[in-house]
Amino acid sequence: MRKTTQLLEAMCLVVASMTGTAASAMAAPGERYLHVKVEDAKEGESVNVNLPLSIAEKLLPAVNKGKLHDGRVTIGSTDMNGIDVRALLDAIRTASDNEFVTVKEKDEDVRVAKSNGNLVVHVRSHDKDNENVDVTIPLKVVDALFSTAKDNELNIVAALHELSDAGDALLITVQDASQHVRVWVDSHSSAD
Amino acid sequence: MILLGKIALGLTGTMLAGVGLICSEGMIEVNVVEKQPEAHHVYVLAPAMIVPIAAHFIPREKRGEASQHLGPYMPEIRAALGQLRQCDDFVLVDVQDRDEHVEVRKLGGSVVVDVKDQDDTVHVSAPIRSIASTLEEIAASDSEPRN
Repeated sequence: MRKTTQLLEAMCLVVASMTGTAASAMAAPGERYLHVKVEDAKEGESVNVNLPLSIAEKLLPAVNKGKLHDGRVTIGSTDMNGIDVRALLDAIRTASDNEFVTVKEKDEDVRVAKSNGNLVVHVRSHDKDNENVDVTIPLKVVDALFSTAKDNELNIVAALHELSDAGDALLITVQDASQHVRVWVDSHSSAD
Repeated sequence: MILLGKIALGLTGTMLAGVGLICSEGMIEVNVVEKQPEAHHVYVLAPAMIVPIAAHFIPREKRGEASQHLGPYMPEIRAALGQLRQCDDFVLVDVQDRDEHVEVRKLGGSVVVDVKDQDDTVHVSAPIRSIASTLEEIAASDSEPRN
């Protein structure tokens, strides 16, 4: 009888520990990472930074210095050049996929478009550096960025939160003659 | 005989509890290997708990100075370390060039820094809890009454 009781107690402990482990595993959602990778083929250098978005989301509201406060950045009204960004975004959001801006210059081409719910910017430089810049930002993230009540603020934390909810995405690539920079979000803890 | 056994058991238990308490915050590991002709090897493995205690013995003036520098950044440090503890293991920074490789990662409950270059190999591992309590200890020293 005593052995049976002990066996039952042991089984209860095992079940309780397994339940606890399962509960904690279920409670912890997959971490999302912001990756920045800079490769310089000429210098043979490579820099990888992998930042969990949850850390950035917790850290930013704690920073209250300069233009950054409570996870928001104050921007000068001159930075906007009098443009009503919210109205502009609203117009882009409701429009179908399209190319909005195309600028062709002697040494640079710029394209701004909406594609599959993303705001896409391509810059092709034809000077000696041959620099190409591609930016793809989900419109939800851009919306979150401008989701503050004040016109002269960008809500960085809301944008990060929206970014962590979005799928894997290559956000920025910059390629020139020697350097290659990539910024992307996924759920892998390393850049490899 | 039974009494001696009980005493031995009690002593062993106390020792184990003591060791457990001292190691409760994990261990700090420092490993430095010089690759130069006269190779030196430094290896230190110490309980992390002693670091905040050791911070007490830093001269008050030096601690006060460090505290003034550290104080304004403590909210950010608290937030970052708190969240870092909850994260899965990951490589925070990895820098590689022709001669040097630096890696900073979170491994278990610790922050691990590895540096390899032509001259040395350095490995430092410190528990996040210990880093947090040491920084808190230093930051709090500015508010301590001076004699």
